[in-house]
Amino acid sequence: MADENDNDRIDDNQKPEKMFTLKKWNAVAMWSWDVECDTCAICRVQVMDACLRCQAESKKDSYGKQDCVVVWGECNHSFHYCCMSLWVKQNNRCPLCQQEWSIQRMGK
Amino acid sequence: MLKEKGQLKFEDKWPHMRPIVLKLLKQEPVSPAEWHELFYDVHLVCLWDEKGPAKLRDHLHEDIVQFIKQAQNRVLAQRQEEALLKAYIAEWRKFFTQCNYLPTPFRQLEKSLQGKPASASSSTQGNNNKKGPIEESIVRNLMLDSWNDSIFSDIKHRLQDSAMKLVHAERNGEAFDSQLVIGVRESYVNLCSNTEDRLQIYRENFEAAYIQSTELFYRMKAPEQLATNGVQAYMRYADAKLREEEARVQRYLEAGSNGVIQCCVKVLVGNPLPVLLAECAPLIRAGETERLQLMFRLLERVPEGVQPMLRELENHITQAGLADMEAAADIITQDSEKYVERLLELFRKFSKLVHEAFSDDPRFLTARDKAFKAVVNDTTVFKLELGTGRNIGGRIVAPESKCPELLANYCDMLLRRTPLSKRLTSEEIESRLKDVLLVLKYVSNKDVFMRYHKAHLTRRLILDASADSEKEEDMVEWLREVGMPADYVNKLARMFQDIKVSEDLNAQFRTSTERHDAINIKILNAGAWARGSERVTVSLPVELEDYIPEVEEFYKRKHNGRKLQWYHHMSNGTITFATNGGKFDLDVTTFQMAVLFAWNQRPHDKITYENLRLATELPDGELRKTLWSLVAFPKLKRQLLQFTPQATAPKDFDEHTTFWVNQDFALIKNAKPQKRGKVNLIGRLQLSTERSQIEDNQSIVQLRILRTQEAIIKILKMRKRISNAALQSELVDILKNMFLPSKKMIKEQLEWLIEHKYMKRDDDDINTFIYMA
Repeated sequence: MADENDNDRIDDNQKPEKMFTLKKWNAVAMWSWDVECDTCAICRVQVMDACLRCQAESKKDSYGKQDCVVVWGECNHSFHYCCMSLWVKQNNRCPLCQQEWSIQRMGK
Repeated sequence: MLKEKGQLKFEDKWPHMRPIVLKLLKQEPVSPAEWHELFYDVHLVCLWDEKGPAKLRDHLHEDIVQFIKQAQNRVLAQRQEEALLKAYIAEWRKFFTQCNYLPTPFRQLEKSLQGKPASASSSTQGNNNKKGPIEESIVRNLMLDSWNDSIFSDIKHRLQDSAMKLVHAERNGEAFDSQLVIGVRESYVNLCSNTEDRLQIYRENFEAAYIQSTELFYRMKAPEQLATNGVQAYMRYADAKLREEEARVQRYLEAGSNGVIQCCVKVLVGNPLPVLLAECAPLIRAGETERLQLMFRLLERVPEGVQPMLRELENHITQAGLADMEAAADIITQDSEKYVERLLELFRKFSKLVHEAFSDDPRFLTARDKAFKAVVNDTTVFKLELGTGRNIGGRIVAPESKCPELLANYCDMLLRRTPLSKRLTSEEIESRLKDVLLVLKYVSNKDVFMRYHKAHLTRRLILDASADSEKEEDMVEWLREVGMPADYVNKLARMFQDIKVSEDLNAQFRTSTERHDAINIKILNAGAWARGSERVTVSLPVELEDYIPEVEEFYKRKHNGRKLQWYHHMSNGTITFATNGGKFDLDVTTFQMAVLFAWNQRPHDKITYENLRLATELPDGELRKTLWSLVAFPKLKRQLLQFTPQATAPKDFDEHTTFWVNQDFALIKNAKPQKRGKVNLIGRLQLSTERSQIEDNQSIVQLRILRTQEAIIKILKMRKRISNAALQSELVDILKNMFLPSKKMIKEQLEWLIEHKYMKRDDDDINTFIYMA
């Protein structure tokens, strides 16, 4: 900002130090879950998409809204939270490494 | 009276009965006393004389025959046709009326003849036969059969001939009393004593004669008409005559007999069919809807009549459509608007034809649709080559029509802020989008359309270039309505949702810090926008680079477990360019920005290509393209950068090519250089790198392969075993909303699935497949 102001002043003196000055930048980035494997091993859907169950249940309001988040276990394996919460009801182990399942962090 | 029992004989009674019977036959007055007496006598004869009933019947028969003979003589005394018919009808009417009276007194006789007890039979008869005893009556049948045997058999030919002569005369335009023919016909119908088939005599004689005379008449007339008046006039003649005959049939024949019309159709339409059909193509070509309508009406009556017309129509539309496309090839391959409008014009023209000439008959609509598919998917004018450069796995992919791409481009022109979309009203845009959907219906590779459409949408959303965001979302719903696959459409809808989420995030980011008036961020869901597309490295100008950590910091505070990837090839911005002559705002891509900012430290230097590459770290291909857009932007009269030595394409730059900023840059308006102004140099926003574009094309083919495999398995899972032909048709059905699978690809995928033990061929029948779980 300070630079730009300088610029304008010098501009008025008809001796611009910079020919090109930034006015507006529209930056684009993509986010994705920071996971090692991009497919959920339980429902076989990519973790960036809603899990199968969520896709089937709420077709109308599921798209876009990422209510179907990702969960990481202590073992660092990741799954859809929906898929995992159903899984642990039957077997409280990670489906991939058989370690006892405990949540390390949740996607948000 | 009881005294006389046992001695009562038929012969005693008959002389008494006979005069009454004769009076009845002749329709002479009979007093109530006589009428009653007849009942009583019949009763007595039947009751007391064992042989009475048989004798009674024989005598009765004799008298009836006698009477009929007299009638016959009276009829045959007439020489003239009309008089003969008149006399016959009169006699018959009289006789037929008596058929209803005479049997009544003889009811007892009938019971006796049937050998049943009077009371029981009457009740069972009443129950069994609702038509009533009179019609079943033996006496009545006796009368009718006698009439049939004597008078009718003798004179029926004369009767029929006379009647047919009258009909013939009518066909030739002479008037006569139609009651005569009708009367004859009625006698034929009523004459029949066969209760199973009342129309037997009528059909075998009267109708047969009618058909014969009709056929004879038109067999003579039709070729004569055709020869003297030509086909067109003949069609009118045939049509008029068919209607006339239909009306005539209603007048003269019993309902439910269509033999005559069939015969007319055969003679009038069936026989000259080839001549008529030869006329079809020229009529379609000339758009003679009225005549085609007439022809359709005629040919519809014969089997195999409409089929050739359908073929003619389909051929004509296909040929005319393709010829039209080829004639305008130069314009339409370049200009998607012209192309789509041309297609629509064709479509409207032929829909109108089908509507006016064939009243939107479903068969003709199908033929029109088939022809349209052929035109739309034709590849002679232009082709889209999927997977050029490298063949996928050594396979050469058949070229496809470019139509879906052009349709998508046209949609983009309508939905983006363009001169076209500014010129049109909202309603006009809507109706044109609907037109696109109409054409899309005929496109066999809808997946290509969806891919281009999605790319255009991505550009519009990222550049905020939509003309009307409401219309954008409408379009998504319309695509859903026309049956585009739900997963495609959902993805588009997800992009809208995502862009809104991103807008909120941007607002939060901008309020969270005061320093960022110059930056807008779009942080999008990689799953919805850009799965798998590769990024391009670029060394950002410091002004931009500074923002990055701050945005990432902000994002990390808002979200958990997410990683960010910058898509600088999609990002863009506005810079101010100060020259000797003025100050200009330039809308540029981030790559263009990176190149231009290289001069900020040394405004008047000439910089070599190689040094620019080092400064920007852009890959070779991207740098060339970016530089080319700055030295040769089509819309500019004075370019931003100048260079040496001469080059005519981006590939001509070498590492020693030098570039410098054009200090005399200015926007030219009305041939005068302007001091201020704004220009957009972004052009078509790049969504992926060159390499990934080839991959993109291949990914379409790859995706089709997967979809085909998936669909085959889906079908087999359901059917367990299925014949090849059935499988193919189900497969096309499942996939048709995305693309039309080629026979070759289906075969390859079947082989693949068999090889990988998903399925096998039946041992006994290699054309049957079995699912293997």
